[in-house]
Amino acid sequence: MNKEHIDINAIKAMLNLSDEDLKKPLPKPTTWSKPFWEAAKQHRLILRKCSKCGYIDHPPYLYCTNCHADEHEWIEASGKGTLAAYAINYFGVPFPFWADLPYVVALVDLPEGVRMISNIVECEFGELKNGMELEVVFDDVSEEITLPKWRPVKK
Amino acid sequence: MEKGEFAIIGIGEVPTGNYPERSEFEIAYTVSRMAIQDAGINKDEIGAILCAQHIMSNPDNDYNTEMVFGRLPEAIGARNCRVTCMTSSGGASSFSIRKTAEGILRSGETDTVLVVHAQRFSQFTANEQAKYFSVAGSDVEWEVPYGMTYNSLAAMITQAYMAHTGTTIEQIAAVCVACRKWACLQPNAMFNQKELTIEKVINARMVSYPLTTLMCNVLGDGGSAFIMTTAEKARRVCDKPVYILGEASDYSHRTITRAKIRDFNQLVDFLAPIAREAYERAGLGPEDMDIYEIYGSYPVIHLMIMDSLGFVEPGRSGALVEAGETSPGGKYPCSTNGEAMSFGHTGTGVGFAMLVESVRQLQGKAGKAQVPGARFVIENCGGGAFMDCHFTVLGTEIPG
Repeated sequence: MNKEHIDINAIKAMLNLSDEDLKKPLPKPTTWSKPFWEAAKQHRLILRKCSKCGYIDHPPYLYCTNCHADEHEWIEASGKGTLAAYAINYFGVPFPFWADLPYVVALVDLPEGVRMISNIVECEFGELKNGMELEVVFDDVSEEITLPKWRPVKK
Repeated sequence: MEKGEFAIIGIGEVPTGNYPERSEFEIAYTVSRMAIQDAGINKDEIGAILCAQHIMSNPDNDYNTEMVFGRLPEAIGARNCRVTCMTSSGGASSFSIRKTAEGILRSGETDTVLVVHAQRFSQFTANEQAKYFSVAGSDVEWEVPYGMTYNSLAAMITQAYMAHTGTTIEQIAAVCVACRKWACLQPNAMFNQKELTIEKVINARMVSYPLTTLMCNVLGDGGSAFIMTTAEKARRVCDKPVYILGEASDYSHRTITRAKIRDFNQLVDFLAPIAREAYERAGLGPEDMDIYEIYGSYPVIHLMIMDSLGFVEPGRSGALVEAGETSPGGKYPCSTNGEAMSFGHTGTGVGFAMLVESVRQLQGKAGKAQVPGARFVIENCGGGAFMDCHFTVLGTEIPG
């Protein structure tokens, strides 16, 4: 698959898009997800673990989805993962992502038992393989938000 | 619901496609009258009117607000309508709205319910639609910031399914080819002019690897309606009522990362028990079905639903489709209106279209697409980002 050059300014003019239309959507942390995003900003990957039953919720919710308890702790994740499935976006994505095309979105399994949707970075498309080992990297996309992403573990 | 307690006795449908001049209100009024006429009843017999949700809203004249505020009974002159409401669960709406209708019928408030769906995507700009669907299909906090889309989710599932089952990209494309063959026999289908070839589907523009544009569904304007009643009334007023024989449902997740069945490869473990329950409630089995009205919206989901229906070994559905067995004239007719990929995706309406097509087939009114002598159909729908699944067995007779 060739990397097609996309001129985002031409598209912007053609479709009469505003700068706002091209701004990437960022997570808006909630009361219960705030610790996750604050830790990500410090380049730490943490997960919400119930103090009562030990269940790890990701994405986190207001209370434990297994036993409804409020009491919880945030545990450090190992930062390791495996690739469960992936797709390579070439076209038809929201306009703010056109400049990044083509890019990989993936379902990542964490050994802690949860999964995340994320991007696979620093990886040739040809190397992508379900089950491959990954490690977390942190992308500071704004002053407030850092997105955890994943790259292959270098052998 | 008891087996065969309720029936559908009339349907209405307008063509799906790009019709910016045909308002969603015009669609709703048109399909309502069609369904009433088709059922051969008087409009004053209708005691409840249920509307499906319109996807996206027009702030100047919002269809959903109008329907929730009782526009439809007034507009069609349903003088004896006692209950009106909107029921929505996205792509699963045809099911949840039918359950609502069953509840109303069972309450005894009325014995005749009109159910209506209408959608006009073409009033919104490409950017508005892109914005809506970028957050509808994916989690706004945990997925959208990564550039995740509906198509990417289907692409991931396709990639994992192919890797696990050995299904080829040609077989994935064959689903689109088969659906298009059916659509070409359907006057109301969005794409009914030209058949596809596997080569054409595979060589179309890549959207989200491994899916090309022709493997993704296309949004269209459209709508349909049906009249539901008790079996007792149905027998009285209709020559060929279509009975609801067995239904079953399950919910999985909002975000795919929380899916009940974790392994994409084993989605059949989530779907097959639902189908089995629907068959059991109907007192029938896969071999009794004349048609499988599958609402997959993407070829891979179409195959996964096939895998769960009990007439093919899971993982082998692609080969069956490639051999033409689900196409017109095949042993296992599937999605006889062309489903979302070729009939067109009308928001909450795809499941309505499958249901209306099931009724048309069973009543022997499906024209060129008619499966000769069809007596029993199993149909499915589901919403969200593959959040749930509902199977329904329908038939023109109630098995003992």
